[in-house]
Parts: sequence; structure tokens; C-alpha cells
Amino acid sequence: MTPAAVAIEPAVCGGISHLAIQVTDAGRAVDFYGAVLGAGDTTIADWPEPAETALALPSGQVLAFGTADSEGTGEDSGAHQAYRCSGTARAGILDRLNAEGITIHSYHEDRPAEADDPCYFSDPFGNRVQLVWGPWQADGIAGIDHAGVQASDIEWEEEFFIGRLGFPVDHRVGWNTADYVRARAWAEGKEDMAPGTRRLDQRYRDIPGAEPGSSRAVARPNMQIFLRLGEGVLGIFLATRHRQEPAPEAARGTPRTGIEVDRAALDGWAEKLSAAGAAIEGPVRHGKGAPYAASLYFRDPCGNFFEFCAPAEAGT
Amino acid sequence: MAEVESISHSGICVHDLKEAEDFYCKVLGATLHSRVNFKTQDALRGRSIHTTLALDDYVFAIMLTEDWMEVPDQAQLRGANRTRHSFCVPKTRFPEILQLLEAHNVAFEGPVTHPAQGPFGESVYFRDPTGNFLEVLWRRDEDVTYNTVQPLGHGGAG
Repeated sequence: MTPAAVAIEPAVCGGISHLAIQVTDAGRAVDFYGAVLGAGDTTIADWPEPAETALALPSGQVLAFGTADSEGTGEDSGAHQAYRCSGTARAGILDRLNAEGITIHSYHEDRPAEADDPCYFSDPFGNRVQLVWGPWQADGIAGIDHAGVQASDIEWEEEFFIGRLGFPVDHRVGWNTADYVRARAWAEGKEDMAPGTRRLDQRYRDIPGAEPGSSRAVARPNMQIFLRLGEGVLGIFLATRHRQEPAPEAARGTPRTGIEVDRAALDGWAEKLSAAGAAIEGPVRHGKGAPYAASLYFRDPCGNFFEFCAPAEAGT
Repeated sequence: MAEVESISHSGICVHDLKEAEDFYCKVLGATLHSRVNFKTQDALRGRSIHTTLALDDYVFAIMLTEDWMEVPDQAQLRGANRTRHSFCVPKTRFPEILQLLEAHNVAFEGPVTHPAQGPFGESVYFRDPTGNFLEVLWRRDEDVTYNTVQPLGHGGAG
């Protein structure tokens, strides 16, 4: 991707509006997220994607479940979804997870905002879930805090999201020596790190003079970039193995990250995305009762699905 | 006759790749050629982490070190810590370099005037954000053509 020739205006958005994740059983997903994670049982009848089941979160954000034959994002990648809850709600969620026999992890990520008291587990479909707690009032998870996706080319993602769309950087990982020194601590077993944050690269050959086979593996931080989406954050992790991407022309699918924008801005976003060479669909107007008036669907250069959506006005 | 022709490129080791990219591109006017280790195939092959930059016909890589290097006291602006890279500008543009350094709050020593019988006119000494020693100078023999600069990638056939 050729760098943008001119400085781009900073992106304006209202944060993460919804996440669509991949599950093998939508009914079971509603039970798990509604009862075990305490999100409640309010489903959205007029959700624009007929193949998805949508659960309303107390924050007004939405968690949608798209059914697929295969399981979710995989436990070996940096892809995950993080939800906000209060400390009291977290204690209840952890009790229910324990009762379900679900393993809870306390490994760390690199982003400073996530350094304290980490908590991770996997849903029944292989999606990695993180709980972030703070002053949010709800009996269970209150809303979406951030999401992580994986990408085969971090440079393309930087150029696309920062250079072309104007999203600001929250944090970068893998650009400085301190990250590499810290990665060795992980390889030596001194630090427990979340999947997708570290890797053991294999050099072509040993360091000259070293015992054959003894020095090929080198511990490294896995490249990551975190973007601010309003009050939410999108983490992009370098994929550590190749994966099948959707067809180049596919602009709409699951899993998907929804980003709230103004209705009047959708056409402008469509122009920016087209100029960046992205596959788009829309803007698509939604029917009465849908939580969004219209959506613009697109995919990033590495095949992740996104949606800019404009909230429906009250009474429409 | 020397066995080699000229310097092809060089590597400058840095502690922060992003900071170094910004410095060499925004202060010295380098252009970005390519980055390594931002793609899955690079990660799978265990490649080094570096960015290739170009300053006119000179290509160099800023290489991220995976260990901390010893760095002389930041107050020292002139010296050689393993190497010192020295870049050349025409005499008429030398004052612009001083203005650029001042505009970007880069501390420097100089201009230092060299002996009149030598090839160097004046130098200014400064450091990159990691602490590598750098120099920009103008040459008294800038109108003399010693060897025609070949296009990049000529492979020595010119």
C-alpha cells in the first residue's frame, strides 16, 4: 500500500458499537454470555444481520453471534474480546466460570492500561475473553472495552487505519529494545504472557560458533498496535501463522467490529475507504426497529471485517 | 587500486525504531524504503527488525537492537561510539541544516571550521535519539568530480 500523500484528518467516532463473534451454537452463546457472564437476556429482534443473534449489553452496545461450523478466533492468536464489569460483578462471574469448570488465566499483555490484575478465559466456542473492571454498574458484563484482531501485515494496517482513516495510536509493541529484553524474560519463564504477544522465531541457522541447534530460536515480542476508537480500543496483533482470508471482494461477514459514527459521515467514510482500496458494501439503510439507521461494511487490508454504523434516532 | 568500489549501504543500530524513523525522515529528510518484521512471513523466518531508508543516493538501515547498547553520556555531542556517520551538503545549504536542527530541538556542536588546506569546510556534530554520533559537513572540493555516482542498483557494471 502506497503511503497517503497528504495528512489525514483525525477520525471521529463514537467508539465500539458492537462486536459480532463466531460461535457454533447461537442459543448456547446467549446462555453463556447472558447467564454466566451476566449480560442479561435481552435479544434484539430487528438486528440487521438475519444470520446473527444479537444480545443487548447494559452499555447500549451489542454482542452478536454468527453461527459457523468452525470455532472462534483460536487460543493461539492475539484475537480476543474484552468486556467491562465492576469488581463485584467480576467476583460473581468468576464464581460462575469456576462452577462451569472453565479455566481462568492471569497472563499479561503489553499495553500499560491492561497491566493490573489481568483475567482471561475462553468461551465455549474458543473465543478468548478478557474482563476489565472499573466503575461500571451492572450485575455482569456492562459493555465492550476493547477488541483484538490479528493481521498478516502490521505495516499495511498502520497505513490503512492511521494513514488513510486517521485513527489515533494508543500504543505500539515491538518497536523498541525494551520490548525484546522483556520477551527474553518470557522465554526464561519469568513472565506469563497472553497468547499472541510473544513468539519464538526460528533463525535460518545457528549463531556462528554455537552448538548446532542451540541458538536458532529467539524470543521476540509479537508486533502489535493499539488504536483508539473513541473510548474503545482496537488491538491488532501480527498473525504468527498464515490463515485463510475471506475473498478479496467480501466486505461483510463475521467476526466483525462495529464502530459508531454519525449518519452524515457515512458517505465520507465510503469515499475514504474506496480511495484506500478497501472492499466496501453500503451505506446500507436498515429497517424500522433496527438499532442502526445505516451501516457501511468494509474489510481491512488483512481480511478483518468492520462496520461503520449510525445509530437509529429514537422512535424510528 | 582498492579491491572494493565504495560504500554500498550501512546499518545504524537503534533502541527505538519508530523514534529513529521519525528523526532520520523528519530532521534529515530521509525517505522510507521498506520495513522488515511487520509481516507474518518475516516472523516465521526469524528475520532481523529493521527499516531501510534512503538519503538521496545513500541507502542505510536503522536496525533495532535486541539488547541494550552502551551509550556515551548524552551531553557529549561529538565523538564515535563504534562509528560516526557523516553526511554531506553543499556549502550553500549548510545554514539550512543548522536551522533544521534548531527547529527540531536537536542539540549540536559547531559549526566547526576545518583546516583550509583540507577537503572539509565546516562540520556540525549531533546525535540521533539513541545516541549515535552524526555529522553534517560541506566540502571545499564540492565542485570536483572524483567518480561519477552510478544509479542505485547498477551492480557495479557502470
